[in-house]
Amino acid sequence: MAQPSQEGRQKAEMEENEDAAITWSDETGREEGRLDEDPMNKNVGVGEGEKMVHPANTLEGDAESKIENAAMMEESGEEVQPFAEEEEEDSVVIPTRKRPEHIIPQVEIGDRMKEPLVEDGVQSKAESSGGGWGSSLGSWGMSLISSATATVSSVGHTLSHVVEKAEESLGILSPTELSAEGEETTQATVPTEEAGGPAGSEEDPVVKEEGVEVEGDEKAFSHGGAFGMLGKLGGMTASSITSIVQNTSKTVITGGLDALELIGKKTMDILAEGDPGFKRTKGLIHRTNTLSQVLREAKEKEEQRLAQQDEDSLAAPKAHYGLLFDEFQGLSHLEALEMLSHESDGNLQAVLSSLSGEDLLRVKAELDEIKSAMILEEIDVESDVVEEKDEKEQDLMNIITELLFQVHIGVTPDKLNRARQKADAWLKEVQEDSTPKEAAEGLEKEEVVKPEKKSVQDVHSLCIQSLAEVTARSIEQLHKCGELILHGADPDVSAMQRAASLTRLTVALCKELSVKSEKFASCLSTVGAQEKPEILNPLVTSVFLEASNSTMYIQDGFQLLLPILQLSHLQHSATPLAPT
Amino acid sequence: MDCFFACVAGVGKSCLLLQFTDKRFQPVHDLTIGVEFGARMITIDGKQVKLQIWDTAGQESFRSITRSYYRGAAGALLVYDITRRDTFNHLTTWLEDARQHSSSNMVIMLIGNKSDLESRRDVKKEEGEAFAREHGLVFMETSAKTAANVEEAFINTAKEIYQKIQEGVFDISNENNGIKIGPQHGGAGTAQAGTLAGQQGGGGCC
Repeated sequence: MAQPSQEGRQKAEMEENEDAAITWSDETGREEGRLDEDPMNKNVGVGEGEKMVHPANTLEGDAESKIENAAMMEESGEEVQPFAEEEEEDSVVIPTRKRPEHIIPQVEIGDRMKEPLVEDGVQSKAESSGGGWGSSLGSWGMSLISSATATVSSVGHTLSHVVEKAEESLGILSPTELSAEGEETTQATVPTEEAGGPAGSEEDPVVKEEGVEVEGDEKAFSHGGAFGMLGKLGGMTASSITSIVQNTSKTVITGGLDALELIGKKTMDILAEGDPGFKRTKGLIHRTNTLSQVLREAKEKEEQRLAQQDEDSLAAPKAHYGLLFDEFQGLSHLEALEMLSHESDGNLQAVLSSLSGEDLLRVKAELDEIKSAMILEEIDVESDVVEEKDEKEQDLMNIITELLFQVHIGVTPDKLNRARQKADAWLKEVQEDSTPKEAAEGLEKEEVVKPEKKSVQDVHSLCIQSLAEVTARSIEQLHKCGELILHGADPDVSAMQRAASLTRLTVALCKELSVKSEKFASCLSTVGAQEKPEILNPLVTSVFLEASNSTMYIQDGFQLLLPILQLSHLQHSATPLAPT
Repeated sequence: MDCFFACVAGVGKSCLLLQFTDKRFQPVHDLTIGVEFGARMITIDGKQVKLQIWDTAGQESFRSITRSYYRGAAGALLVYDITRRDTFNHLTTWLEDARQHSSSNMVIMLIGNKSDLESRRDVKKEEGEAFAREHGLVFMETSAKTAANVEEAFINTAKEIYQKIQEGVFDISNENNGIKIGPQHGGAGTAQAGTLAGQQGGGGCC
């Protein structure tokens, strides 16, 4: 029995072209590994044996190549020895790939025997690799693994149910051959589902795709010939087989989706267990709609806390990012930007709904282009920032100015620069304060320096203040960009160009913040060198935390520009405009 | 409370705002782009209220943008320049804009600015009063330079908004009206009054 892993579309092709085996073009990349290992595949031709829809094999091929890359494992070895778990333990990277299923269809066993085998394989693997993880990741890893195992077994249950169903429907047809068929169909989905474990969302589209392919197959079948099984089924008409296969496929797919959903839910639960902050974040997301609302709430909470604190003791208010951010009008600008963004979005939808047919498609494509231009690439802060801090520092200002110039709306980052310079100024001051201090310390102890020296708390509030100010100014900058773009900026510069410049601008701003936060942190450590780690560490941590928050705000603000840019694009293009 | 400033370019909204928030006067001001912000804590009825002021660009070309911001306002200050009749003549369009794009309950105050320039006065105080009466606005003449009536203008507006809140005219739970109730400060409610200080677009500048 051949083990082709072909898709329906390709089957259709095969009908036209007997040499279809060679035309497995689009999947070739993924399949390559398999083809090499399993020369049988190449012989798959029309009418030969049973040609099973086996899209999952492609997936597996995919997963395999990932594994190959990630864990550098010898694939061929694994092919032969699917249960070689010692090898698996080494690869921490992809816990859920399902080697056993991959092999099982090749081994011809009674289908009922296979089923438990599959599950066993899955579980034992999860457990065995669990051991590997546990040792490296500690107890957290263990708990994750145990939950994962539980998930896998419950998924296994769902699957076996699906398998039964599939068999039921196929069982009408005939004995071993057919149920083996059903088994294979089912098997096909198994790996997909299991692979969905860690990256459910990622796998999702694949499943859908699979669905399409399976249906495509059925069409191919009904043309006859391609489905070798047909020949063996005397009494059955092609169409009834088709419908049975169709039903089976549907059951399998629905079951697969159910299993995926289950995995997704489980993953959320597990995540939530492992990370107590996760629930809160999730709650926050559900409770509020906009970032400015979230920030406002945070700010108000802090105000409340401060008010209470003031009553208790007249302790000086500690630096609080949210309050400061509002004080620098960051919140207002963000809010205004949100309003602008929503309004633009509304106008955009109005324009879109007034279009139809080709116009609509064209405009949509154009808007999508802008959207994709605004995808922030992974901001790789660590790599280049650390190396050449000082040069970068100088450059950044120029970069920002230049990028704003490219946006071509006549905005200068004066305010932003002032905020940055302010931050630099005090940083310098503090550093100068603390450097001679260390030298002088040996001689005159604390007497001379003490009055001028800033405490760690002072420096910390300066840090937070600067972060809040720079962020607020960045948001303001983005807001101004948005306003000026809508205001009818130079139509010579396309929205696309602007999008690109703004994207780079955002990246530059984020980098700037991370450079700053590192400076702040090192400054804090210098000043607080004598402090106990219990005091110093939380301060340093909070600087980094707020810096990452700042980055997030800026990126969110940036995203708000999208509808604005899109709208401006529509306004400048020849598209007939709805009143705005 | 969010208040909104609305008036014609160059009539001195930004100056008024600066006088109110920082208590200083700066004769030369950059052209306002879109909207700028100012905030000040004031006390109404013994309660601390944060007045958040949106200072909008007065230029005609910014009008479509500033319109988007009205929605967030609980009050508006409509400002004209008493030395320039054109700014007064534009009031109607701005008033329409404000009414159309905001809640019908928005408190609107009419302000004739630059009252220190009596010698160059072009619009009589009576005219302003008449306009205000006609449209149900509160009227006041101010000078950002001498700070005359500046405090009063903002605080009166805030008080009126506050009163409307007390009367339950504003639906506080509605996020769109620019009123955000802050946390309780020892029993005192902090309402943020938005002063929507809008400039009227009329071209020209000071």
